[in-house]
Amino acid sequence: MRRTGVSVWDEVDLGQNRCAAWRFPPRSIFVERVDNEYHVMSTPPEGTCAGESRFEFISRGEKPRSSAWRHYLHTETVPVQPSPVLPDRPVVVRPDRALTLLPGQNALFFLEIPVWFRLSTAGARPTRIFEEPLCVLSKTWFGDPITGELCYGMATRLHQGIDSVAHSARIAICPLAITNDSDTELAFEKICLHAENLSVFRGGKRLWANRLNVIFKGSEQATQIEIVHGPPGFERDLVEAAGAREPASGWNIRKTFGVLKYFADF
Amino acid sequence: MAFFSMIGAWFRSLSPDVLTKGLRVGLTVVLGLFLVRLLAVLTQRSIMRRSTPQRQMIARKAISYTGFLLVLMAVLGELGVKLTALLGAAGIVGIAVGFASQTSVSNIISGLFLISEKPFAVGDVIRIGTTTGIIQSIDLLSIKIRTFDNLFVRIPNEKILTSEVTNITRFPIRRMDVMLSVAYGQDLDRVHSLLTDIAHENPWSLEEPEPVILFTEFKESGVEVLFGLWFTKTDFLDLKNSIIKDITVRFAAEGLLFGWPNRRVTIANDPGATSG
Repeated sequence: MRRTGVSVWDEVDLGQNRCAAWRFPPRSIFVERVDNEYHVMSTPPEGTCAGESRFEFISRGEKPRSSAWRHYLHTETVPVQPSPVLPDRPVVVRPDRALTLLPGQNALFFLEIPVWFRLSTAGARPTRIFEEPLCVLSKTWFGDPITGELCYGMATRLHQGIDSVAHSARIAICPLAITNDSDTELAFEKICLHAENLSVFRGGKRLWANRLNVIFKGSEQATQIEIVHGPPGFERDLVEAAGAREPASGWNIRKTFGVLKYFADF
Repeated sequence: MAFFSMIGAWFRSLSPDVLTKGLRVGLTVVLGLFLVRLLAVLTQRSIMRRSTPQRQMIARKAISYTGFLLVLMAVLGELGVKLTALLGAAGIVGIAVGFASQTSVSNIISGLFLISEKPFAVGDVIRIGTTTGIIQSIDLLSIKIRTFDNLFVRIPNEKILTSEVTNITRFPIRRMDVMLSVAYGQDLDRVHSLLTDIAHENPWSLEEPEPVILFTEFKESGVEVLFGLWFTKTDFLDLKNSIIKDITVRFAAEGLLFGWPNRRVTIANDPGATSG
């Protein structure tokens, strides 16, 4: 059995005598069920994160011999559910080109956020087995050195239309609508996305995150940000693949407001 | 057996009044200490749960000391000691003890200043003089530090108040400055771009704030370069170990030479020699 595209995130029945292999080049993740244990091994994600994502079963003879196998005890034999989840920290996105939003203008961008791999048991009471990033993102700091926060940093293409966004099982697309409701220009150089507040939705060919509506009211005022709950309306029949790590409560929203004051400073 | 019969005989010789008083004192001590301990633990676990370890410790000690004092006063009252007279005497004794223990009093006052000024908290890593370590406790007389080679160091509060104290972990990010010397004749633009690459490729170095690369001085052995990398305070060891290795490996791969002390000697009677 071989799966490609977003179907790599389908539920898998491991069985007892075979090894499941998810390939997200350069990372490969191997999982097998041995007695009451899940045995897990992943290759380090060194190199460029590119190439087709796929899932396949391999024979036990083909599995890598390594001391890096990890063992997780779980007595129930049930299928496993891989899920794409967003990173555990905010992501500072640097667009590949500097763009200035003139006063009164609005724009819609599609930002690409690399997802993490989470494996849980399937069923009504899922248990998380493990999760890990598919690509290693660099660390960066957003805000001033005393009150800022640790984030992941990444450069991304600033897509203004969905057609230019490639189909990928390892990237979640976050629609970001920005309105410049101020009298000043908004230099669009760096955005801090609170990825831990966003859910992932699965479509036919792409993964999506919640839509964000941002209203910039000038550098002296806090920028308003709204997380639109539910799947974004750019693809039909989207289903939730993974919930937000920290659902955006009142506290999170206030924190986001605070952080987004810096939005205007960059 | 003889010991127990001796104890029994001693108990029988006591008058009922003394026996009752003894039991009441014993009960006051046991119950009082139990209540003080219970109150301290409950305060720490419930009310102060969301507070910092330092505040928890101060609250626990305040409750314990006050509680012990109250238990002592209750016991003395039970024994018939007049507390008013005792407090009057305590004033006179206090003056005498105060003169005799000026250093301790100075430490206590310094401790109060430290607690109110809060230059550090329990769990912070600080450097005082040549001592660097993690603060274990901040008490009225001294602070206790555990050094990284697992030594216990007690520093009197008075010394802390009059010394320069560096709190290494106060802020979430820090800059590590690596000083390099690049041999004369090397392409400094290449050095700059190579150091930028090294910083970007190191997983412990932060992208922002950007690394600092500064050609600081012409030195005897080469051009001195300051290479400053920002990192989160938990990544100090990983960055320190990896960055020195990265610089060495990448400089060797690019054929760039570090500066080292060297001197050109010219022999005067050599006809082909030039001064240098």
